[in-house]
Amino acid sequence: MDQRLFINLSPGNTYLDKLTGKTKVRLFFAFIILLIATWDMRIIFPTLLVSVFGLYSLKSKLKSVRAITVFVILTNLFNLFLIWVINPDYGATICGGSTVLFQITSFYVVTGETIWYFLVRFCKMMATFVAAMTFIQCITPSELAAGLYANKIPYKVCMIVSIAFRYIPDIMRDFTNIKISMQARGMELDSKRTTLWQRLKQNVLILVPLIITSFDRVGNIANAMDLRGFGKNKTRTYYSEHEDGKGDGQMKILYTALYLFIIVVIVLRIVKPGEFLVWYPFQN
Amino acid sequence: MKKPVIELKDFSFRYKSQKEFTLHDINLTIYSGEKVLILGPSGSGKSTLGSCINGLIPFSYDGEMSGSCKVSGIETREANIFTISNHVGTVLQDSDAQFVGLSVGEDIAFSLENDAVSRPEMLKKVDAVAKIVGMDAFLDALPYSLSGGQKQKVALAGIMHNDVETLLFDEPLAALDPAMGMAAIDLIDQVHKQHNKTVLIIEHRFEDVLYRHVDRIILMNDGRIQLDTTPDELLRSDILKRNGIREPLYISALKNAGIRFGENEHLDSIDELDFDQYRDAVTRAFQNVALSQPKPKGEKIIEVSHVSFGYGHERLALNDVSFDISRGEKISIIGKNGAGKSTAAKLICGIIRPQKGEVRINGKDYKALSIREIGRMVGYVMQNPNQMLVKDIIKDEVGLAMALNGFDEAVIKERTEKVLRMCGLYSMRNWPVGVLSYGQKKRITIASILVLQPDVIILDEPTAGQDYKRYTEIMHFIDQLNREYNITIVFITHDMHLAIEYTDRSIVFADGECIADDAVFKVLSNDEIISRANLKQTSLVTLAHRCGIDPEHYIHYFIDSERGE
Repeated sequence: MDQRLFINLSPGNTYLDKLTGKTKVRLFFAFIILLIATWDMRIIFPTLLVSVFGLYSLKSKLKSVRAITVFVILTNLFNLFLIWVINPDYGATICGGSTVLFQITSFYVVTGETIWYFLVRFCKMMATFVAAMTFIQCITPSELAAGLYANKIPYKVCMIVSIAFRYIPDIMRDFTNIKISMQARGMELDSKRTTLWQRLKQNVLILVPLIITSFDRVGNIANAMDLRGFGKNKTRTYYSEHEDGKGDGQMKILYTALYLFIIVVIVLRIVKPGEFLVWYPFQN
Repeated sequence: MKKPVIELKDFSFRYKSQKEFTLHDINLTIYSGEKVLILGPSGSGKSTLGSCINGLIPFSYDGEMSGSCKVSGIETREANIFTISNHVGTVLQDSDAQFVGLSVGEDIAFSLENDAVSRPEMLKKVDAVAKIVGMDAFLDALPYSLSGGQKQKVALAGIMHNDVETLLFDEPLAALDPAMGMAAIDLIDQVHKQHNKTVLIIEHRFEDVLYRHVDRIILMNDGRIQLDTTPDELLRSDILKRNGIREPLYISALKNAGIRFGENEHLDSIDELDFDQYRDAVTRAFQNVALSQPKPKGEKIIEVSHVSFGYGHERLALNDVSFDISRGEKISIIGKNGAGKSTAAKLICGIIRPQKGEVRINGKDYKALSIREIGRMVGYVMQNPNQMLVKDIIKDEVGLAMALNGFDEAVIKERTEKVLRMCGLYSMRNWPVGVLSYGQKKRITIASILVLQPDVIILDEPTAGQDYKRYTEIMHFIDQLNREYNITIVFITHDMHLAIEYTDRSIVFADGECIADDAVFKVLSNDEIISRANLKQTSLVTLAHRCGIDPEHYIHYFIDSERGE
């Protein structure tokens, strides 16, 4: 039963896959923080390229992200369109200036600044999305737990993460079983034959046994963990966290540089706040 | 003098949430290196006793305790669960829930991780214990791809690291098919002998545990130790039936033939019995009885012809399968886990549809029917009643299927009441579902299916995790529905006893194919089918061979005589 979404459960063989959880987590946060900290296309665009290259390097699993990628691109484009509908000259407040390229009505204009802002915004969103996808695709839940722990997150919190991923497929299987048995008892879940409200009410009915069986399971899991000494010591080691490889050394240089760069970017924004949010290359 | 490992003195325990004590005045000493079976029906306190020994009581379950419980010399109430788990390793009943890792290796390493063992050392240790249980080739496997037996091996490996003195198995056979169960008992025996552990097995399936030698048996019931004795002595007595435990079949058969066992006979293994002294008595009892004739068949309700089905690109889950089911029959669909028996049940209910071939219900191809429409002709009762119960009050639960199918209030009321009467639940109709026992819940799920008046009900492992007493209760009830209301019953099971005692015909699946479809006694006396389907040969076959009787006839005779009682 393949109901694991695009979560990766067994480690792959590519360069990124082989990194330790610690390195993966640090790299990911470096990318995300950098992307949040800046609106500068000179930073965002290379980040996007690197993220796309990262995702591409995991090629075997590309198929599973295709649908969600299309979905994200479309929602982002729609979002930009809505911004434009509400305020066509939005770029002026962000980039400072208003170079009209062509006019539809007196209100609806297309300016170079707005297009540039939209481009930056789109690249930023896509870079964040691709970085996140790459991260999700190359890390297993156990590596994530180990990686978070290596970054000073308490191990009980890390355990919640990996346990959740461990039991999601089981709970989804329970859900399917319960749903089928309810259908056989006469519950109509076909969207053509019932109203949305009916279906919502019936889905709540399915949740009752799902929650009860899940609670039973939680009790058993807790006992199994207690009996094998979970919570005994202040520290913990991880089976899935292998020793640093060649890639980890190289990536350490990369993320250290990135974190230093982030500090510089943030400091610069505080010390020398620009007049406008977005760097615009075509300023008159 | 042997060293005592577990010592309970005048020990009693009451759960915080309960009024009555669950354990009373337990006095028990288990010595180093012993292999002990703690035997008892559900609710006898045997699992609670296990929890006291491994420290879950009082660590995870609060309650009132008196007397003393020492494990490896440590008074449990003064220690914590981590200290105790260094001495006692526990394999829990639910092999899926206790698999907390995301791969075999990770799960085996779990206790090492918690001990903060360095990774190089961890890998070595994981490898060593994985070899002991034979899972070293699967270290990277995901939990979802493992069988129940494999998960249990992993659980066993996971507790072997710290050189624990005692291994505790809580109902190790509950989720396994017969052949896997034999393998598990074998493995436990091997670990006991080679690694010199003290082994405690908590079980109610006596005959299956006896597959390998046990030193001592503690029989529990009503929270007390009823008997603390050797297997031979227990088998000789008739105390088992009185305490809701099933006797091994060969012992019942011999006792039925009027045989009294002598003081010094070894009874715990059929291979060691001296049949020369029994042969005459067995043959005599057998010869005087006329065998029953098969019941005339009713009209065909379900016809499955040449159906194939596969999930995705995998091997076909059903490969050119044909069988039919007639009104009033009692059928068992048996086979190992993953052989296709659950897929066959899903096929009949229309949850999956044939990719090749066809299924006809009441003479009509069911292609055009929805799951809901098929549900009114074929009812499906899931294994775990908690997965089916959605309402607070019993009569609402039972009436739900009719309400969902849009019947009138008045009709619902009338039919619900009728079904509640049929199922002996009428007096409880206004009770909340939550307060019921497992067996009663099972009964309600059956009632909630019966209310639609289906032609066939399919029950998935109706007795899983049930002791003999509750098992008998549930099965008697289903049998009665068949007899009095001519309801067709299909069991999906790997329980051979169930097939023998309560069904007339068996359809056997192996590797997606239907390998046998015949009277139960014929199927179970066929060695080839038994081994292909991962079933276990019943001891009756061995007994028949040793007495020089045809096993097929003997099983037939045995079934007749059991039902005649």
